[in-house]
Amino acid sequence: MHAVKQTMILGVTAVLMMLAASLCFGAGIPDKVSIGDIQKYYAPVDFNHAAHINSLKDCGLCHHHTTGAQVADPNCARCHKNSGAQPVVSCKGCHVAEPFTPEALKQQRDQHPPIYHRDKPGLKAAYHVSCLGCHQKMGGPTGCQDCHTRNDSGDALFKSGKYAPKAPAKPQAAHH
Amino acid sequence: MIERRDFLKGCLACGVTAATVSVAGGKAMAAGSFEGYPDAMGVLVDLTRCVGCRSCEAACNAEQKLPEPDLPFDDTSVFKDKRRTTEKAYTVVNEYKVADKETLYRKMQCNHCTEPACLSSCFVNAYTKTKEGAVIYNAKVCVGCRNCMIACPFNIPAYSYSSPLNPLVQKCIFCYDTRLKDGKPPACVDICPQQVMTFGRRADLIKLGHDRIQANPGKYVDKLYGEKAVGGTSWMYLSSVDFDKVGFDGHIQNEPIISNVKDFLGFVPMVLSIWPALFTGVHLLATKNKDGHHDHEEGDHQ
Amino acid sequence: MKLFLARNPNTQIIDSLRKDNDTGRPWTLMEKIFLGLTPKQYMAQAMSNPLNWVFAAILLVGIPFIIARFIFGLSWAVGDPYDNAWGLFLGFGLFGMVPLSSSGFQLGSAVEVFGRHDFEPIERLGILNGILGYFFAVIFLMCDLGQPWRLIYPMFVSWGPEAVLFLVAWHVATYLSVQAAETSTAFFEWMGWPAGRTFVKKMALGLAVAGIILSTLHQGALGALSTYAPGKIHPLWYSSSFQWLYFFVSSLPGGLCMVIVVSTIAVKTMDWRCDATFKNSLSKLQVSLAKGASMGLITYLVIRLIGVAHDNKWAYLTTGWGGWWLFEIGFGVILSLVLLTAGIRNNSVTLVRLGAWTTIIGVVLNRLNVYMITFNWQNGHVHIPPFREIMIVITVYSIYIMTYRAILYRWPILFKWKTRYSEYAVLEPKPAAVTAPEAAGSK
Repeated sequence: MHAVKQTMILGVTAVLMMLAASLCFGAGIPDKVSIGDIQKYYAPVDFNHAAHINSLKDCGLCHHHTTGAQVADPNCARCHKNSGAQPVVSCKGCHVAEPFTPEALKQQRDQHPPIYHRDKPGLKAAYHVSCLGCHQKMGGPTGCQDCHTRNDSGDALFKSGKYAPKAPAKPQAAHH
Repeated sequence: MIERRDFLKGCLACGVTAATVSVAGGKAMAAGSFEGYPDAMGVLVDLTRCVGCRSCEAACNAEQKLPEPDLPFDDTSVFKDKRRTTEKAYTVVNEYKVADKETLYRKMQCNHCTEPACLSSCFVNAYTKTKEGAVIYNAKVCVGCRNCMIACPFNIPAYSYSSPLNPLVQKCIFCYDTRLKDGKPPACVDICPQQVMTFGRRADLIKLGHDRIQANPGKYVDKLYGEKAVGGTSWMYLSSVDFDKVGFDGHIQNEPIISNVKDFLGFVPMVLSIWPALFTGVHLLATKNKDGHHDHEEGDHQ
Repeated sequence: MKLFLARNPNTQIIDSLRKDNDTGRPWTLMEKIFLGLTPKQYMAQAMSNPLNWVFAAILLVGIPFIIARFIFGLSWAVGDPYDNAWGLFLGFGLFGMVPLSSSGFQLGSAVEVFGRHDFEPIERLGILNGILGYFFAVIFLMCDLGQPWRLIYPMFVSWGPEAVLFLVAWHVATYLSVQAAETSTAFFEWMGWPAGRTFVKKMALGLAVAGIILSTLHQGALGALSTYAPGKIHPLWYSSSFQWLYFFVSSLPGGLCMVIVVSTIAVKTMDWRCDATFKNSLSKLQVSLAKGASMGLITYLVIRLIGVAHDNKWAYLTTGWGGWWLFEIGFGVILSLVLLTAGIRNNSVTLVRLGAWTTIIGVVLNRLNVYMITFNWQNGHVHIPPFREIMIVITVYSIYIMTYRAILYRWPILFKWKTRYSEYAVLEPKPAAVTAPEAAGSK
């Protein structure tokens, strides 16, 4: 009985979502997103939002419950089963760019209720864990530079490209 | 012939010697169990999130101004070998094929123990556990005995053997000088795209780690490595497979390393206080009958 | 030297302060250094000794190696042993030499504390063996330390009193001075400074007791150092409760057997330097030393076994490492024990000497096993020290042997200084009447 109900809900949700998606294409949902706020060593990512929507259909896979989609994760569902759409849906709306500043740490510690959201990743990790995790599962590109090309300061950091070590690579002295 | 006066002189000489060396025994015993500084920071490392991009190695190299690596940091051929930390690399990531298709990466650096073995084995007190949680090193007093490298249960400290004039022990210092002391996370944590490492108060991270295990049933082995190992470490780990399979010593003791040495250290004051009286006494007894034969063997007084 | 004396039977070898059996003019320092020979004669006899050519060859290669180690850095000699930070310099030089040098405190205390004046002919050899072993252990340490010029830091610059090594540093430094004082009596006699000799003789008991304290602690401490590495040393060689006892107890037979070995070498290769008292009492003394050593060995064997039983490590005995452990115990302890006791029972000094050799090999092997061979046993490979490291060890050890020989040639260690200083009476045993009230009083 329970399973039937769940399937029905899921089905209805899917239909509603597709409807919503097609309805909203012209109204607020971006086709392309340039992710570049926290870029330091890489060029911004030109994220094809529309293509992802088309192939995934389920906004909740990336946006949790904030788009009003039904959440599958039982931990989230405990509170957010009927939360409905939120005013803020973009990643950077909730995930902070610098999660480990003393202020951010204090905020996480003091928040109410003091569960679940405490372990909220920072913005960079929110992107990577979400994108890369899905890409690994679904066979999407997983190399760093498949999504964003490294810029000059990135090459300098990684000692790569024109900053590559000049000396011929010798075997590592360390051994186990 | 030893006169009474000389005998007393002898006792005095022993006493002075004992006093000189009793500092060693006395202070050693003061090293009791230490629960750690309440606001010490730590890092929770989730092995399941690491993708082996080596950004942390690159960031560490830049932050600590380490020498140029042999290979670029985006070269994955380094995963062929199991590397360890060296004076040129305070952190390294190793690759472990744990199942048919499953690969885990493990980042290795100083774990910043609550009761560090390097610190307790150092005879010039070159190491300090700061209240922020970092184990830092004073290069100015290091003699280069490398006892810390012997003592470290994680084989972390490296030595710049190739420097003739100023060879030093080199290891991760939690970016203490440049970041941690201002409340900022270390460079490796900052750069990690996957947030493999969560920075926070050690006490909070222990809760967080257990919450994560509980919230994701079946994902992790039910152990927070470093919560208890060798008296607790500031860096702690979550893994989806047995820690033995990803380069950890899964059977590491829970007591701090110093606890192994306490048996001996406890014996020191006893020797210092009892031996002088005991052996001068023995001397008096042994020399009482000069002409008689003594059956006991010399030298064996255990 | 032997050959030279055979050819020049009338040479006066210096054994007193003055020429012509202590009746002529005093010997000059130069004469003393050349043993009473002319420099030319001395060089000639040195050149005729093939051993000196071996030493010359070793030094020719080894001294530049030692210099290069300091110019090019430690890695030039030892490589980059991150996991096996302590190699041969410490494994052999410090941990191996110090137990073999425990003879100093044992003979010192046997004579001065236990009143065994029958050991007097060999006491000085025991003490010299002690100080030289410690001194060269420090030389080895200097080769190994990254910044040897900071060796005094634990004393004067920065204290780490919680560390076992701090205790070792202080004790070895203090004990070196104690031994220097004990050895100085021979030096003062040789130099002809009776006042210094008398002064030190008065402190003899204090020095001997200080020697017992310091030796008990630092011999044990050298073992306790390995308790910092519980997971790295193979369990059969590791015991947090017994480690310091293993090291301390095995150092006792180690030191005594080293004296047996050295005195045997001395009497065989420098017969001309040993006086009649030394030669005549040697066999008896060596058997007595062997008694002490066998007592130490049996105790050592028992606690090694108790150590295995205490932590229930019997299962390891069936592994490859177990075989190696059985070899160390079988060869170094049980075989030594059999040889020594058979020697004692049959009064066979040959067996005793053989047993002394196996004992010291066993003790050194144990130290190497703890700090080098079984260290990081879980890594599955044994760290082999590079050639330059081995060569430097051979060189320093050769210098040790040469120094040892040079002192035995000159100072009154194997013979009694013929010049009697009036204070010599200090050595005589005291009458019972004087000590009885003292003994009663101290209770």
